[in-house]
Amino acid sequence: MAERAVRVMVVDDHPMWRDAVERDLQAAGFDVVAVAGTGAEAIARFPAARPQVVVLDLRIPEPDGVEVTARVLRHDPSARVLILSASGEQADVLEAVKAGATGYLVKSASREELLEAVRRVARGDSVFTPGLAGLVLGEFRRMAEGPTAPDPSRDALTDRETEVLRMVAKGLSYKQIAERLVLSHRTVQNHVQNTLRKLQMHNRVELTRYAIEQGLDDG
Amino acid sequence: MGPASAAARAVEDRLFRALAVLRVVVLANAVGLNLYRAGNFQHPRWAAAAVVAMVVWTGVALAAYAVVRRRTALLLVADLGLAVGSLAVTPLLKGDGFSASLPGFWVMGALLAWAVHWRWAGGLVAGLVLGGTDLLVREDLTQNNYGNVFLLVIGGPIVGYMCGSLQEMATERDLAQRAAAAAAERVRLARAVHDGVLQVLALVQRRGRELGGDGAQLARLAGEQEAALRRLVQEEASLGRGGDGSDGADGAVPGSGGPATVDLAVALARFEQRAGVTVVVPAEPVLLPGHVAGEVAAAVGACLDNVARHVGEGAPAWVLLDDLGARVEVSVRDEGPGIAPGRLASAEAEGRMGVSGSVVGRLVDLGGTATLSTGAHGTEWELVVRRDAAQEDA
Repeated sequence: MAERAVRVMVVDDHPMWRDAVERDLQAAGFDVVAVAGTGAEAIARFPAARPQVVVLDLRIPEPDGVEVTARVLRHDPSARVLILSASGEQADVLEAVKAGATGYLVKSASREELLEAVRRVARGDSVFTPGLAGLVLGEFRRMAEGPTAPDPSRDALTDRETEVLRMVAKGLSYKQIAERLVLSHRTVQNHVQNTLRKLQMHNRVELTRYAIEQGLDDG
Repeated sequence: MGPASAAARAVEDRLFRALAVLRVVVLANAVGLNLYRAGNFQHPRWAAAAVVAMVVWTGVALAAYAVVRRRTALLLVADLGLAVGSLAVTPLLKGDGFSASLPGFWVMGALLAWAVHWRWAGGLVAGLVLGGTDLLVREDLTQNNYGNVFLLVIGGPIVGYMCGSLQEMATERDLAQRAAAAAAERVRLARAVHDGVLQVLALVQRRGRELGGDGAQLARLAGEQEAALRRLVQEEASLGRGGDGSDGADGAVPGSGGPATVDLAVALARFEQRAGVTVVVPAEPVLLPGHVAGEVAAAVGACLDNVARHVGEGAPAWVLLDDLGARVEVSVRDEGPGIAPGRLASAEAEGRMGVSGSVVGRLVDLGGTATLSTGAHGTEWELVVRRDAAQEDA
């Protein structure tokens, strides 16, 4: 592996999985700096290990993967979280992405897909499956229909972003999208990333608004 | 007829606490009226003794009824006996031809205690006993006396009946809450089990593919089971989120009143089990009238059949469900060689229903549209249903 070793932390409560992922990552030249079996362990070991990428299972003993994502990124915003989940429940994945995760892969993905996903997430790219794109798209549709209309300049997707997101959800690769829309690969990548950024921004604004409301009520 | 469940006992406790307040109020009323009309008594000392007895018994009753195990038949009989006694001694104290009885409304305490404890039957018996005593001790019956007696006799059973109903409702609510808690616990356990099974199936797929041969066969089987379990988990989650009693299954089940709604996301997720098919849906349920969801799902099925026939069995295909509020769009895409220009039209001209019949026809019947775009990059159907049209149609 020519690339300089990316520091990775693996969080999974199933030892057989943790070991398999760790072995694959090490064989491919990644530096597995820490492993954890619970949310509490992950949060405790994160500051000392300083991984660049956290490969995270959502269903782990308290606190869950969504909470771990939020805590870890609050501690080090430059870290990246890749969700590797067997969970059949999409709401969990969406919550983790809102909390700041930039990649999602199902556990049945092949070894090559996993390694490629870790590399891309480490580079700062987002790893979207069509399924995740569909969830994000659905979330923006819901926000647009919701009672508190989103601030269009900040929260809503542009027409182009919506178009790109729909194409990802329909299973087109970035390369295919770039060809069809006559854009560069990088531009497609940026559009996809913007949708995530807006979703996470919206989530933060909502959380802040909620906190202020609670605070005012208490006072 | 005593309280059967903890919930029923809680209702009884509450009613007895309310009754304790009422007892003090009617006692104060009786004492006050008797002081005001002290001149009417022929035997003031005995009358004073009787009023003191009422005060003492009220105190005893408050203490006794406050505790469940002291609410015995003996207590209730004594309570009613004293109320009857206080009515019966009135002519002795006031002389024949009195108008107001010594206890007045104070007898309500015993009447309502019977109603609360023995429900409508207790209320009726106590009402009849008190009413009968009141009539027997009077020389002549006025319109007013009759009214009071009548109220006693119907008030007892009504309060008793309502107490019984409250207890039944509380018991049912208690059972329902317990059932809901048990169901939630089952769901929690099922999630843990499902997650564990999904983990293992994913691992078998991963390792199996790497082994090749028999391993690859195992991986394929594990993949099928994973898709099936994932679908099940999603359906369960969708049911848990509600909809309105939709069974999520094979289209509409006409309920009481309006048509049943179905989560189209769940209906489409079933196509995941076809080899090569990826189904992408939002996290929230997409609720449509049952027959609309059924027709859209059937149209998607026809599109996918077409992919299998013309591109190949197991060829990759993607289904996207996009809910825009006013309308719902479903896209079915493949990366096959595309459909040659004019082929659909000629098929129709030859009288073969084919794709346009089963896809376009279904959508037009629903007031929607089905648009086909095809080319070297593959084929894509865009199916659009408007929510308002779907509602009217329903």
